[in-house]
Amino acid sequence: MMANVIRRIAVRRVPWAIAVTLIAGCLFPAAGQTSSKERIKAFAKLPDWSGIWELDAFVGQADGQQFSAEGQRRLKEYAAALRPSFTSEYKAKYDEIRKKVEAAIAADPDHPPVTHEPLCAPPPFPATSTPGMYQWRVTPEETTFISTVGAVRYIYTDGRSHPPKDELWPTLMGDSIGHWEGDTLVVDTIGTRKRLYMGELSGFFVPTSDQLHFTERIRMVNHDQMQIDYTVEDPVALTKPIHAVIVHVRVTDFNRMVEETDCEQNERDPVVNGRFTTVVK
Amino acid sequence: MRSTFRISLVVVLALMGTSAFAHHSRAMFDQTKQVALVGTVKEFQWTNPHCWIQVLVPDSSNPSAEPVEWGVEMGAPVEMMRKGWKPGSLNPGEKVTIVVNPLRDGQHGGLVVSVTGPDGRIIGRPAETPR
Repeated sequence: MMANVIRRIAVRRVPWAIAVTLIAGCLFPAAGQTSSKERIKAFAKLPDWSGIWELDAFVGQADGQQFSAEGQRRLKEYAAALRPSFTSEYKAKYDEIRKKVEAAIAADPDHPPVTHEPLCAPPPFPATSTPGMYQWRVTPEETTFISTVGAVRYIYTDGRSHPPKDELWPTLMGDSIGHWEGDTLVVDTIGTRKRLYMGELSGFFVPTSDQLHFTERIRMVNHDQMQIDYTVEDPVALTKPIHAVIVHVRVTDFNRMVEETDCEQNERDPVVNGRFTTVVK
Repeated sequence: MRSTFRISLVVVLALMGTSAFAHHSRAMFDQTKQVALVGTVKEFQWTNPHCWIQVLVPDSSNPSAEPVEWGVEMGAPVEMMRKGWKPGSLNPGEKVTIVVNPLRDGQHGGLVVSVTGPDGRIIGRPAETPR
């Protein structure tokens, strides 16, 4: 009997409670939140980065999936711009890694050694220079980078700081915060994993310290071209910052994002004892 | 481009095989050689991470011998579609001529350079055609 009374009261009261909460939420947004109108205004100030993009070096690939002559030229330019100037400690580390790689290649040139981690996993930060296409999702609070090869980056533009040191650990993409300077998104990234910087543009085996710090200035140069200005700092590993400007172009021959990292579907180049092999049947 | 960096770039490009292969090197293929395989499609695998063609190649010097099966590798499906290929571009039983960079280890495999279909036309866009 008593239970039925309580149930009836609850059924009558709950809709009112929900309505009051919703109205209050609209009239008095919680601290840090904006009203819909304010958010729409904030959206209107943001640049339109819609579409699908890729690194300019990938344009005009040959049928054998080689880079085009122009693509190879661009890659060499990027590699030159990204050339690190190591401190003596990290030069020694770099030389050691390089010698190991060269020795492994010389020992069995038919089966190249694996020297980079990503393989079929998402490519590491900044992930914009790896094969595959990508998109940007720009909102007032966050810009998200999504690529067909599984990389996702979250760039917070809500005014927050990086997490305190005791809440930060090395991750594939690190921790990125950003702010807008006109139509340019300025991104500050720390906390990336070591030896992964700039992916294949500068080599997979470049040693870096836990003080690795990236600044990116990302903007659309014109309707079909985006430009990312990178500054790479590492006071422990590098004697001076690296600065490079990488160009990305709008993809015009394909209009959908298709996930490409499902290597388990048909992996015929398995790694055996740290080397690539090929299964021909 | 000289000194240490030249070496690093060479190593990097060797490991990458100057290709857009996302997940492995192309250094296992001998890119200084091209072999033309004239045969019949056994299977066309439109799959991740890469597309493959299994092709049966008769021994022209010994027609009574069993044909040799080759497995030849291409790009990822999206890459291939952007080059003009489709999942149904090849079918079992079709006569093809496939030019490959052969595997360096001597196995019957290679990296596809071009495929001429049963109609005598190269499938997809020719190399280095701007998109």
